[in-house]
Amino acid sequence: MKFTKELTKGFVKDNPIFVLVLGLCPTLAVTTSVINGLGMGLAATFVLMCSNTIVSMIKNITPPKIRIPIYIVVIASFVTIVDMVMAAYLPALHKSLGLFIPLIVVNCIILGRAEAFASKNNVLMSIADGIGMGLGFTLSLVVIATVREILGAGTWLGMRVTPLSYDPMLIAILAPGAFITLGFLMALINMIKEKK
Amino acid sequence: MNSKDKLIVSPAPHMHDKTTIPNIMWHVVLALVPALLFATYYWGFRALLLTLTGAVTAVVCEAIIQKLRKVPITVHDGSAFLTGLLLAFNIHVGAPIWLPIVGAAFAIIVGKQVFGGLGNNPVNPALLGRAFLMASWPTRMTSGWVAVKGFAMSGINNLPRIANNLQELSPKAYDLVTSATPLGVAKTLRDSSFVADINAQAGGIDLSGRIFNSLTEMETLKNLFWGNIGGCIGEVSAFALLLGAAYLLYKNIIGWRIPLFYIGTVFVLSFLFGGLPGSGSSILLPFFHIFSGGLLLGAFFMATDYTTTPLTKKGRIVFGIGCGLLTIVIRLVGGYPEGVSYSILFMNVMTPLIDRLTMPKAFGRVKK
Amino acid sequence: MKYYLKLGFILLIFCAIASGVLAYINTLTAPIIAERKAREAIETRSALIPGAEFHEVQASDGSIFYEARDPETQEIMGYTFNASDLGYSSTVQTMVGVDPDFKVIAIRIVDQAETPGLGANCTSPSFTDQYKGLAIEDLYVNKDGGVIVPIAGATITSRCIANSIRKKAIEVRDEINQGGGE
Repeated sequence: MKFTKELTKGFVKDNPIFVLVLGLCPTLAVTTSVINGLGMGLAATFVLMCSNTIVSMIKNITPPKIRIPIYIVVIASFVTIVDMVMAAYLPALHKSLGLFIPLIVVNCIILGRAEAFASKNNVLMSIADGIGMGLGFTLSLVVIATVREILGAGTWLGMRVTPLSYDPMLIAILAPGAFITLGFLMALINMIKEKK
Repeated sequence: MNSKDKLIVSPAPHMHDKTTIPNIMWHVVLALVPALLFATYYWGFRALLLTLTGAVTAVVCEAIIQKLRKVPITVHDGSAFLTGLLLAFNIHVGAPIWLPIVGAAFAIIVGKQVFGGLGNNPVNPALLGRAFLMASWPTRMTSGWVAVKGFAMSGINNLPRIANNLQELSPKAYDLVTSATPLGVAKTLRDSSFVADINAQAGGIDLSGRIFNSLTEMETLKNLFWGNIGGCIGEVSAFALLLGAAYLLYKNIIGWRIPLFYIGTVFVLSFLFGGLPGSGSSILLPFFHIFSGGLLLGAFFMATDYTTTPLTKKGRIVFGIGCGLLTIVIRLVGGYPEGVSYSILFMNVMTPLIDRLTMPKAFGRVKK
Repeated sequence: MKYYLKLGFILLIFCAIASGVLAYINTLTAPIIAERKAREAIETRSALIPGAEFHEVQASDGSIFYEARDPETQEIMGYTFNASDLGYSSTVQTMVGVDPDFKVIAIRIVDQAETPGLGANCTSPSFTDQYKGLAIEDLYVNKDGGVIVPIAGATITSRCIANSIRKKAIEVRDEINQGGGE
């Protein structure tokens, strides 16, 4: 069925990070721990789903010449909502994600899906696309964060998973570690795709 | 597999030479043997153990990755061995044994094989390995330094003459000169609050100035030259490194441009800016900067790597000057006492640009 | 011209709707955020000096610190204040509780973005517990002649915390001594 296809394509086939290579800035910056990656991913998923819905709903009344500013207004509104709600109910996560929540506005995945998918498809498909892409994004962040948190801090979701004698490899949670991890995971995905 | 069996096609003129990759690499290894012997003499068997561990790990990793990549296994050419050796030379003797193992593995796998092996690496793998270790385990890399037997670690053993009751005069100053490397002492003396502190402790005597001057005294320089100092395995003796460098230069394995301009730049800049703020410089100060830290090791053995340095003569001069400039900037104003490895890595990355800008015009081409 | 006015008008409508929605959500969340922040500050203060009642005091330079009084006897149990300074890669903010003799009761790092694994370890109790019971003149890291053992590999962060607390403690002490003389 088309709906499930749109929903699942974001996981591997059109994975926003490993295949489309979109939204790398938050990917590299917030994946220092699994909880941050998860929080960021779900926040982006929510914004993506809502913005896709609205963009798809208004596609017939949006003048093509000013579609980008309109999309940005829609996206920015949802991001601000997420920002405020998080600050109110999840202050710890909000603090550790910091500036990267407002920066979801300029996350290429969201504008990219609005432009490439939601403005051309009906509301139902756009929601499926938004959820699928968002979850694909979340999944990728969690995978990267898993590698980085285990290597760089010896923990997973804050729980200790390595023996106490393990001396954490700090580089994994610093910026270079983000690039190296992303590179190796991307190579891995390419290898799997090629074998298929 | 023998490469001579292959038909080699290249534009004329063709010239044959006995030089091969294994030939060059093992010569460089040979040139590093004096430094290794000095290190083993001063620090004992552990220096040799750490070095060989690094080298063997590098060879094993290279073989495994080449096997996985299904390409010919070329570990006999010595390039991996050399990488492991140089990496271990950048580690101090007090380090745990797993440090050179992890570092060498990273150097070979991420620094070299990921990019396609020998000749394709953008930066010197050994230095990348060191940068990786510095970022990952900074405390392991910078604490627990071991002094050579019977000497103050900083090599300033003439200090008692300068202030024979230094320990009572200023405990902090005493701690400094007995527990840091020479460059560490020079760096700390640039911290104005520290300087004010020890001078106050000493009751208003210009203790910092005296310690700084002692760095450039003949006796300290002699220690630096022969190797009575604390430091990484490979940088203990300037003499041993110069011996190896002379051999490589004589054999025409390394070019003279990069080392000359590198060390020359350090010489000039350290003379001009190396003195303590507010006091003059000494002609011996540049020698202090050249003999201490990893400068000689870097200039002769790492900044001369074929793959990661410019091809053109002009480019090599630019490369050398750039390395010298960055090293001095890091040593004098940066956050670390030593900057050789980062400066070479930085210039490695600049190499394609330098090559492009210094490309000679083809013969007959009219200048625009 | 008319066409562009029309485009502008459409955009205006979109923005107006968006602002309306955001304003509504803001009215819902703003009180919760404000309340949470206030409660957090109170909780931190109470953790530093347990069982006290806090009174805001404005210093002559406009900064604020708190007097901790015993709820029953109204005796002064100590003071709490915020100290902050630039660390290695961020401003490190510390909330400090001191007793009436300006010996540290406890400190808590309330905000920092130092290097993970190094400076960021300043929030761990093994570092902050060292401050307990220290007098102002002891608030130096051991390299500077004090008793605080810096976090491994993060002398700059450790030094910044010790120095910021010391400076602020002296400021607050002077402020109180002046006020007491009046």
